[in-house]
Amino acid sequence: MPAILIIEDDDIMLKAIRNILTKDGYTVITAKDGKEAFEKMDNSEYDIVLTDLMMPYANGLEVVSRLRSDSTRRHVGIIVVSSVGNEETITEAFRLGADDYLKKPIMAGELLIRIRKLLANRTNNAKLVTKKK
Amino acid sequence: MWNDLTGLIYSAYEQFSYLPLFIEIALAFIIIAILATIIAYSVILYKRWKGYVEDKRMAFISPKIEEMITEQVLINENLEKVPVEEIEFDPAALNDKIYKKAWVRQVMIDILIQYRKNFRGEVGELLRKLYLDMNLSKDSFDKMKSVRWDKKIKAVVELTQMDIQISDVTILPLTNSTNPSLRAAARNAYIQLSKNEPFKFFDIATEPILPWDQLELFKIITTTKEIAIPNFSRWVSYSTNKSVVSFCLKLIAHYDQQTAVPAVMELLNNKDHYFRADAINCLGKLSAEVAEDRMVRIYNTQPLNCQIEILKAIGRIASGKQLEFLKQEFLYSPNFDIRMNSARSIITHNTAASRAIVEELIETTHDENRLIISHCQNPLIKY
Repeated sequence: MPAILIIEDDDIMLKAIRNILTKDGYTVITAKDGKEAFEKMDNSEYDIVLTDLMMPYANGLEVVSRLRSDSTRRHVGIIVVSSVGNEETITEAFRLGADDYLKKPIMAGELLIRIRKLLANRTNNAKLVTKKK
Repeated sequence: MWNDLTGLIYSAYEQFSYLPLFIEIALAFIIIAILATIIAYSVILYKRWKGYVEDKRMAFISPKIEEMITEQVLINENLEKVPVEEIEFDPAALNDKIYKKAWVRQVMIDILIQYRKNFRGEVGELLRKLYLDMNLSKDSFDKMKSVRWDKKIKAVVELTQMDIQISDVTILPLTNSTNPSLRAAARNAYIQLSKNEPFKFFDIATEPILPWDQLELFKIITTTKEIAIPNFSRWVSYSTNKSVVSFCLKLIAHYDQQTAVPAVMELLNNKDHYFRADAINCLGKLSAEVAEDRMVRIYNTQPLNCQIEILKAIGRIASGKQLEFLKQEFLYSPNFDIRMNSARSIITHNTAASRAIVEELIETTHDENRLIISHCQNPLIKY
């Protein structure tokens, strides 16, 4: 089952997303801030990272930047889930390498569809790369 | 023993009157200080104990409530299969004895609000349904009847977050409450909940909309979806509440209500110069070219704040007809702010004519004016 890392400092939101994704069959790991997330990313492999933006220690943009600059984890799908809705921040998140952006309050169904689509795209891309080789 | 103690106090009291005055005063201070310390420590201890009990209660009940919400809402099997209004919750989970206690119901409401802030769509609707099915709306409406204003505010916020309609009879009087916090909460709620006439409270507002409340209201108006935006010139013409008129001028500018220009121009005759400054600012933001000549005509009779607003408005309208006027003000006004705003307005025009004037001024004017022009030409300095 695909593994998803959720990085979110709001305890209620963290538990809620974890429950929704677990019910849908994903393996879910959680982190409450950027620092904890970096430790968990070093220890395990993830297919998708769901990250908030405003967090203590390291914010979501730093998480995106670190993932994209690391050649071993560059393939990980990143979805930013945040209540920040200004154009500059959203553009910056995409510029740094985020694959998707969801503005809070979110729709649970939409989140699941976006995760499935992102996973499908990643699989297709991987197949294409293998074929080319 | 008791007799000995009372005897001791009595003799001390008798001796007290024979003591020198400064000793009496010192003793009085010592007694007051001891009593104040005892009271302060008692209050601190009580508050700490109360906090400890609340923390313990929360630690016990929060996981239970979150588990119930997860099972009944977040991972409800019927989500996306059955319309939300037809989804039934497990009666055993909802009718648990623990949810009869008032403090537990309050925690439940607070947690539901947290979830509603994070989820919309079907989950958001189902959270609302849970709030209604558990009859928590009754708790919120009961709080509305409280004499305490903080409880009323809590009730208004809860009902707004849960998107529960509050009758006009209940909420409209609160929008004009003498308590600023309650007034602001009720106005915010009214705008979000009233779908047809969200600005009806402007008609009855006699209490001011404070500057901070204006910011909050502005944010709510501009971010609430499906809000019916009226023509705000109605209140500009008829409202006797100055803060309502001032706020409406900002909304007219934001929504670019060109039909409001004649009503706003009427305010140029108003005796209050703060009002006139707001009206001129609004006309500038509306790029009301029709008002340009009139503003220049009244310029010399206006106080400084209105003059500066006129200069800014001419820059925003940028018709090019008043470039000579701006140039004269820049060259001959003794006031620094006037020169600064004249220069900015000339530069904002950004036409061949305005650029020629700027070049001419740089060549002919003195050092201070040249410095003003170079400052105004900096695109990083917002106008």
